[in-house]
Amino acid sequence: MSSVPVPTRRQVLALYKQFIKNSNQFNNYNFRQYFLRKSRSTFKESADLKDTVQVTNMFNEAKKELGILKRQAVISQMYTFDKTVVEPTLKLNHTQ
Amino acid sequence: MFRSLLRANVARSAMISQGPVRFYSPSNLSKTAISSRVIDVIKSFNKTDASSSNPTEITMESSFKKDLGLDSLDTVELIVAMEEEFSIEIPDKVADELTSVAQTVDYIKDHTDAS
Amino acid sequence: MFGRSLVRLPRVVPSNVGLRPSVWSSKIRSGNLSRCYSAAAAEAVKLDEGISIETHTDIQAAAKEQANVRSNDSEAIKSGNTALNHAYQENTGFGTRPIYLDMQATTPTDPRVLDTMLKYYTGLYGNPHSNTHAYGWETNKSVEEAREHVAKVINANAKEIIFTSGATESNNMVLKGVPRFYKKTKKHIITTRTEHKCVLEAARSMINEGFEVTFLGVDSNGLIDVNELENAIRPDTCLVSVMAVNNEIGVIQPIKQIGEICKKHKVYFHTDCAQAYGKIPIDVNDMNIDLMSISSHKIYGPKGIGALYVRRRPRIRLEPLLSGGGQERGLRSGTLAPPLVTGFGEAARLMLQEFDNDQNYISRLSNKLISGLLSLDHATLNGSPNHHYPGCINVSFAYVEGESLLMALRDIALSSGSACTSASLEPSYVLHALGKDDALAHSSIRFGIGRFTTEEEVDYVIKAIQERVKFLRELSPLWEMVQEGIDLDSIEWSGH
Repeated sequence: MSSVPVPTRRQVLALYKQFIKNSNQFNNYNFRQYFLRKSRSTFKESADLKDTVQVTNMFNEAKKELGILKRQAVISQMYTFDKTVVEPTLKLNHTQ
Repeated sequence: MFRSLLRANVARSAMISQGPVRFYSPSNLSKTAISSRVIDVIKSFNKTDASSSNPTEITMESSFKKDLGLDSLDTVELIVAMEEEFSIEIPDKVADELTSVAQTVDYIKDHTDAS
Repeated sequence: MFGRSLVRLPRVVPSNVGLRPSVWSSKIRSGNLSRCYSAAAAEAVKLDEGISIETHTDIQAAAKEQANVRSNDSEAIKSGNTALNHAYQENTGFGTRPIYLDMQATTPTDPRVLDTMLKYYTGLYGNPHSNTHAYGWETNKSVEEAREHVAKVINANAKEIIFTSGATESNNMVLKGVPRFYKKTKKHIITTRTEHKCVLEAARSMINEGFEVTFLGVDSNGLIDVNELENAIRPDTCLVSVMAVNNEIGVIQPIKQIGEICKKHKVYFHTDCAQAYGKIPIDVNDMNIDLMSISSHKIYGPKGIGALYVRRRPRIRLEPLLSGGGQERGLRSGTLAPPLVTGFGEAARLMLQEFDNDQNYISRLSNKLISGLLSLDHATLNGSPNHHYPGCINVSFAYVEGESLLMALRDIALSSGSACTSASLEPSYVLHALGKDDALAHSSIRFGIGRFTTEEEVDYVIKAIQERVKFLRELSPLWEMVQEGIDLDSIEWSGH
């Protein structure tokens, strides 16, 4: 494990971006909200990690989780259900 | 019968080959339109001080970190929100250097085919 | 963006060619599939011919019908229901699917669990009991890993976990299997009146086999009296079965004390942990638990699987319900289902990994919901507020009829009690055991909060309940009398 280079700040931020983007892709409202919340808290908690071994482990673990997130976000889009009563059906967007 | 399938395949491959090609051209949108939308995105982004009960005024000069109180992870989320708003993709290298509202507006204005 | 392009399927069959798969054709003609609720959402999932691959639910169809009836119909209907209509947020740009707050009935399957399971529905299909080839070895390895995960949550050894079809089967195995094995010397079983139906019914069936069963009562908080339990133990008692967290009121029984008493008197202690496993800290050794029933679908795992913990040292013997190939230490014959087992294992692993996060989050939402609901007049929390799992909240709204409240809350998926008994209009036996009268038991509603519940949903529910309880009370003559200060107990109702 020690031979694996320690991830840079930019790599961590890029991974975080992937987490947010893929969490956003969930069609299911509850899953989408959960994974956004989970991604935020996980990255915030480990933001102060200094130990390089720990950082590397977290990074590799997170990469595996990203794979799950990507697959499941796609599945969530393949089997979609009606929106829930707290979910706006029209996106408030300027684009037409 | 099979011809139709063939046609479909051709159509699909054409679609795919078009995919990665991006035509970066200055946006058709006016600068004021872009800035008002950028500011709207920031306002609806619930982590900024702007969405609290005592909102900070967002101006073109507002810095994400100093004025809006966003850390690097929050900024990433804000960039994702911008990407979704304008249907664009901001490369990580560029995103790293966007630290204020004005810079973001300029980037969207100059570098993308935002709609 | 990446996801979207995947779902937008290319045109494969031109519309003028009659190549449509026959299964689809009827659906297309019925025109059902062309309905879409939002242009943006529909665009992402539409085929070229306007065939949506949205999976529509009955709920949406029903709600649409309701909405149409309301908007087209006479003034009379409208004026009667304006308050409710207003509260439904119908046609206001929001979805129609209810908020899910029935986490005690079942929980949504965690996507991470599904991700684990899918492998075993695609490539890894071997029989875990096949030991002559790699297909069997690989699934067997995964099954054993899952067993480790399930055991770890309760500090047990993997060898002590027996996979079953669910907590109902586990409970039956214990309530029937243990007394049957020891029937030569032991004739007595102790359980409580607030147990799940399957424990009560299994115990009752043992009466027919010549056993005696003591059903312990509970106090107004829903807790059993441990002294009463100790006094009930006889020399011929073989089993004590007390659930850890009640499925209707969320009360946590003093499991550790019960374990000590059972150990002292050398009686086997079984606890039904369907609602407790992974949600409150449990340690089978520290708590002297001999047998424990576990359910997978209450912890965001797949339905159709559960487990029974059976202590090995000292060894607990029980007669199996099923005869067969002798899998699962001979206690539960039949081929294991690797997709379900691995899904269950992953769900258990996640319960442990997310324990602190889930606990804090659920407690926070729970406190918010409780204070929001109890801010209504004459609303009471059922069960002990101190010995309580925060994810299960049972509240009585006096002077409101429970069934009509549930009808008025079609936008929130709730239950007035356990799913197994809600088919009947009979009031909850659990609330009866707490000493609640019929009327209050009828006006009780259970709210379940879980990992995937959002704060937005809790806010919506508080607002909706407050509005509609007030609305229904306005219609109630009893409420009018209460407002006028009449003591309802003093009224002599004329009988017909």
